[in-house]
Amino acid sequence: MSNVANSLSGAVGIGSNYNLGGAGGTGLPGVQDPDKTYANITRQEYLDYVANYRDFENNLIEETQTDTSLIDSARENATVSSELAQGISDRNMSRYGGSLTPAQRDQQTRGLERANTLGRVQSVNDATIAQGELNDRKLGDLINIGQGVNRSSLSQMGSAAANATQRKNAYDSAKAASKAQTMSTVGSLGAMAIMAFAF
Amino acid sequence: MGSGPKQKDYEAPDGEKASAAVANAEYKYFKEKYDPLLQKMRDDSLTDKVDKTLRARANADTMQALTTGPMARQGLTGQGAEDLAVGYQGQLGAADKAAEDIRNQKQMNVLGVARGQAGDAQSGMAQAANLQVSEALTRAKNNQAVANAKMTAVGQVAGATLYQGLSNMGTEGGSFFTPADSEGNKIKGAKKRLGYSEMFKG
Repeated sequence: MSNVANSLSGAVGIGSNYNLGGAGGTGLPGVQDPDKTYANITRQEYLDYVANYRDFENNLIEETQTDTSLIDSARENATVSSELAQGISDRNMSRYGGSLTPAQRDQQTRGLERANTLGRVQSVNDATIAQGELNDRKLGDLINIGQGVNRSSLSQMGSAAANATQRKNAYDSAKAASKAQTMSTVGSLGAMAIMAFAF
Repeated sequence: MGSGPKQKDYEAPDGEKASAAVANAEYKYFKEKYDPLLQKMRDDSLTDKVDKTLRARANADTMQALTTGPMARQGLTGQGAEDLAVGYQGQLGAADKAAEDIRNQKQMNVLGVARGQAGDAQSGMAQAANLQVSEALTRAKNNQAVANAKMTAVGQVAGATLYQGLSNMGTEGGSFFTPADSEGNKIKGAKKRLGYSEMFKG
């Protein structure tokens, strides 16, 4: 926060002559130069964004193109669930005194392997679809945010351009008026001189 | 002729000064109070806390759905493990997707606020309450319900057979499969058995 305080210190006068009339007694610091303060805030906001959120945003954009965490997780889930189901089955067998013949045991193992393989295929397929959907939505949200920033930036640029044009036109008009005034003065002086010396 | 322009006449009115002072104070307050929180939210959104919560919930949902019933059938027949494996996989997949969705939403909120765009106040955790039961878990649950129903039906038939057999043996001269009447004659044939049965007696 020292950045903020530093950036504003040049433009904010605490207890200065330009302090608030009615609000001065409340301890609310006055603003000596609102234009400069606003410029400092705008600049500081951008610097804060670059320092704190630029990398974060870039990583999110990168993730929309490369993230496969759901698919990776689906593969791991298949292994975990197989081991878990086998463990539960073994414990139930032991708890309830069941005993399987070797053929039943083979059948059980095959059944579990088959279900696990099919389940893995389905999970990975589902995860692939979900991953694509989430990545697309994330990219869409990022673009929306970027578009909003772009729109407000262009709006600010439009205001700055309009103000600059207005100032340039005002300067040109003032220059032309000044030139006309000079010419008029010179003309008047010349006319007066002619009148003075000729007659 | 009047005097030249006075600087005092061009000063901002008190209302505008107050407005600028308040705006500046609010900005500083926001930066000091909320910016650190926003950065904390940014860091939180990069962790896998939500994943752990939702995967634990998925685990509980699966076990609640598939292991709260009688487990003796699975213990005695060795069947049902495959349903549990598939159901568990499906539910974990649903949890992973919901967690990623929540994380994405949080990250977009952080970035939206940081970039001056509207942030969505909803954290997305409400989705956790609506963590959907996956198709795989539903199918596994249905399979287990059918298997349990079969087991129950077999038990009922066996129980009824045992009860009727013992009743038959209780009659004088009767055997397990054949009852005898009050005079000790065995009742054979479908018609006599039907007549002997109390099922159609008022």
